[in-house]
Amino acid sequence: MSDLAGLRAAIVAGDQVTAVREAQAALGRGTDPQTILDAMTQALDVVGDRFQCGELFVPEMLISARAMKGSLAVLEPVLAASGIRPEHRAVIGSVNGDVHDIGKNLVAMMWRGASFEVIDIGVNVAPKRFIEAAREHAADLIGISALLSTTMLNMKPTIAAIRAAELGDVKVIVGGAPVTAEFASSIGADGFAPDAAAAVEVARAVVGSRRDGAGPR
Amino acid sequence: MTETPPGAIRDSRELVRAHLAGAEVDRLPVMPITMMFAARVAGIPYADYCRDASQLARAQALVAERFGFDHVSCISDPTREAGDLGAAIEWFTDQPPAIDETNALLAEPRDLARLRAADPRGGGRMTDRLRAAELLRAGAGSSRIVEGWVEGPIAEAADLRGINSLMLDFYDDPAFVEDLFDFATQMAMAFAAAQVEAGVDIVGIGDAAASLVGPSIYEELVWPHEKRLVDHIHGLGALVRLHICGNTRRSVGAMARLGADIVDLDSLVPLDSARADAGPDQVLLGNLNPVTELMASTPAAIEGLFAERHRQVGPRYVVGAGCEVPAATPPENVDALVAFARTTRP
Repeated sequence: MSDLAGLRAAIVAGDQVTAVREAQAALGRGTDPQTILDAMTQALDVVGDRFQCGELFVPEMLISARAMKGSLAVLEPVLAASGIRPEHRAVIGSVNGDVHDIGKNLVAMMWRGASFEVIDIGVNVAPKRFIEAAREHAADLIGISALLSTTMLNMKPTIAAIRAAELGDVKVIVGGAPVTAEFASSIGADGFAPDAAAAVEVARAVVGSRRDGAGPR
Repeated sequence: MTETPPGAIRDSRELVRAHLAGAEVDRLPVMPITMMFAARVAGIPYADYCRDASQLARAQALVAERFGFDHVSCISDPTREAGDLGAAIEWFTDQPPAIDETNALLAEPRDLARLRAADPRGGGRMTDRLRAAELLRAGAGSSRIVEGWVEGPIAEAADLRGINSLMLDFYDDPAFVEDLFDFATQMAMAFAAAQVEAGVDIVGIGDAAASLVGPSIYEELVWPHEKRLVDHIHGLGALVRLHICGNTRRSVGAMARLGADIVDLDSLVPLDSARADAGPDQVLLGNLNPVTELMASTPAAIEGLFAERHRQVGPRYVVGAGCEVPAATPPENVDALVAFARTTRP
């Protein structure tokens, strides 16, 4: 694994150019693509941990996520050719009426870094659109974000509509500045993430608890 | 310190001024941010509150009278400056307008060279805020503090550039960030000056995006511009309230060094450590969680929560929530917030 130390360090440092070069070099050495992917995921986990500890902040998270995205783009064709697919599939958007996106974007980046396939359906997303996207992509997980205490209230009817749509056992995670664990529980969410780093752990917990690591349907 | 005997204070305006100056007063001031809550109490769709100074002034007067606040405020939404500069704004009937980041005014850093500051008196939404200040000064603000509001350097930069892009700019193009902050600060200084001329006593600086960056970026890139703005407003003869939503725990010491008369702290910031970092003299305001500890709480619980916050902060304290009072907050809970201030000595 020591030949991947440079890749991990580049992602943690947010150095996209080096991360891409290291990913290319690792492939060139014939390193197993899943091993490379695991190293990248570990690096982003480090970033998430440091964010939660207050050692890194949003700009640092974003440049690390960008480095991850760049190096993942190098890897993806090889992963696809090897039949390696993301473990889970998530749909994410900001709730109806809310046009803020940075929290949702951060979560999407962290989920991608954690080997989730993420379909970002944007901001101001109506319940019907969440349902359509989850159905179309056979998602395991739906992430709903809100920045305002007013728009947060739109999460409840959104979750009710998702439940009524009988999508199967799709899990719903909510988050955003005004959202609390108590509120999330009261509106029937399966999980609550206080920040983007926590969203990875929560997503793994709620999806893993049902799927036990199986791939997307 | 100003020596003002408590008996000499005639109204809320004098009380707040005396407290901020360090004089002895007989109760804590109360200055919660009410925007959508005020509009709801007044029965006004929030888009009207934002667009029509007379509606905003009527609603602010109504809540100040009804609940007994010590101030009235012009704050409404973050898009007045950016909108007057030509940024794409998305409007909603009953929630704050928002910047359309997919059509950011500064899609490319080079676009900044073409941007010219908007005139606060040019007839746009900044002018509407000046009118609100005049109406409040002449009405409910005759006995209360009248609060103006400007976007701080990082908040305005985020409005113009897009928050996601700005966060990357800190690493990709710090020289551009410096230029953008300079532009935003100069515009805020001009807007603050116009509001002081219109009659505000205190200017709030809303710089929410500052809570997204760590102390190194805050102190190196943001702080110098906030400091310039604070000093400029003081030079105009007005007071300053710094409001940064979110978790500013690691930047509280630097925020206190700005010299603002009030520093607001959001609910994520532990007040005991904030007091230690800010020093004994900085007036702090906050910091109940607006949703869980104010909106979804009870009057008895709110009194206890404020008593604990006051114990942590000490006498240099102003009562308010960590951020805006949510629209759906039960009136009796706001009554409890005010009652704590009105029955508590600093």
